[in-house]
Amino acid sequence: MKLILTDRDERILEHSPAPVGQILLEEGINPLEVLVTRNGKLISEDTVAGAEDVIRVIRIAHGG
Amino acid sequence: MYQRNTGRHFCGVHFAADIESRVADTIKIRHMIITGDRVAVALSGGKDSTALLLLLAGLLPIWQDVKLIAITIDEGIAVYREATIRAAEQLACSLGIEHHCISFPDLFGDSLDMFLKGRETQACSICGILRRKALIVGTRQAGATKLATGHNLDDEAQSVLMNVLRGDLPRLSRDSSADSSGRFIPRIKPLSRISEKEIATYLLLKNAWTELPECPYTRYALRREVRSMLSVFEYKHPGTMLNLMASKEKIEHSCAGPVISSLRSCRTCGDPSSGDLCQVCSLLRSLGR
Repeated sequence: MKLILTDRDERILEHSPAPVGQILLEEGINPLEVLVTRNGKLISEDTVAGAEDVIRVIRIAHGG
Repeated sequence: MYQRNTGRHFCGVHFAADIESRVADTIKIRHMIITGDRVAVALSGGKDSTALLLLLAGLLPIWQDVKLIAITIDEGIAVYREATIRAAEQLACSLGIEHHCISFPDLFGDSLDMFLKGRETQACSICGILRRKALIVGTRQAGATKLATGHNLDDEAQSVLMNVLRGDLPRLSRDSSADSSGRFIPRIKPLSRISEKEIATYLLLKNAWTELPECPYTRYALRREVRSMLSVFEYKHPGTMLNLMASKEKIEHSCAGPVISSLRSCRTCGDPSSGDLCQVCSLLRSLGR
């Protein structure tokens, strides 16, 4: 799967299908601090992502 | 969408409806808005205040004779603030809501960037004191009866923990919505039971999400460390933030009387103060103003 991080850095992960929350934790990202889309559509952290998916992580800016 | 602290799943439509319903409940249970209120909404243009204005504007039909007025404070933070002010202006305009902008240079004689030269590590406390004052001035100028801010559950829980870490009982026990004989404009926080992630999700679902820059001064803040720590706790133990808020409410009930009665008037500006000088006048004096 392709993982697009908050700084727009793109990475290809050789990962078996897994919940997005688990993938984020393995990348050192707290799922509460980001939004995630799969193929452009907002998904929750318990959604299972597969090999063909494009997962984008969106930073939630604090304050303001 | 998945709601961690209840374990419930929602489709997008019902997730948004749940947020709207919880905000309406918070306002109703805490009597935040009543007939005849003129509510000044602190609108920075960031995600929380954007969600707040959208939600309050959506709830307007359920109240009688209530008006919203948006107040934006331009602190003068180069690169960062211009984009959020533009977003605030566009949102207020699209909702047909009266909008006022107040700047630090107009009110205090200089921009935050200038005040902070050599004092960057104090950024959040200096900005917080001056911004609160600017919002009160804006609220009074607009003739509003309440000031609504976009503080969310994460913000509020972080504040509780920070006040504990600092040993600051007066702040921990203060209820900002309490009206002490008309000396304060009551502040209301309708999003105080909605998490930061829920707010961001709501905006994305409503096509109102904009990726905006983060304030350049946040890297100096104690809040940044507390936020990170609390977020880990909340993920591992859902409900931690709500528990912190419940603790604060119990402390408020125990301490409200003695703290409020100790207030005096600032000898320079006349605003409520715990000492001879209020925080703003004291700060401006220390900044050489």
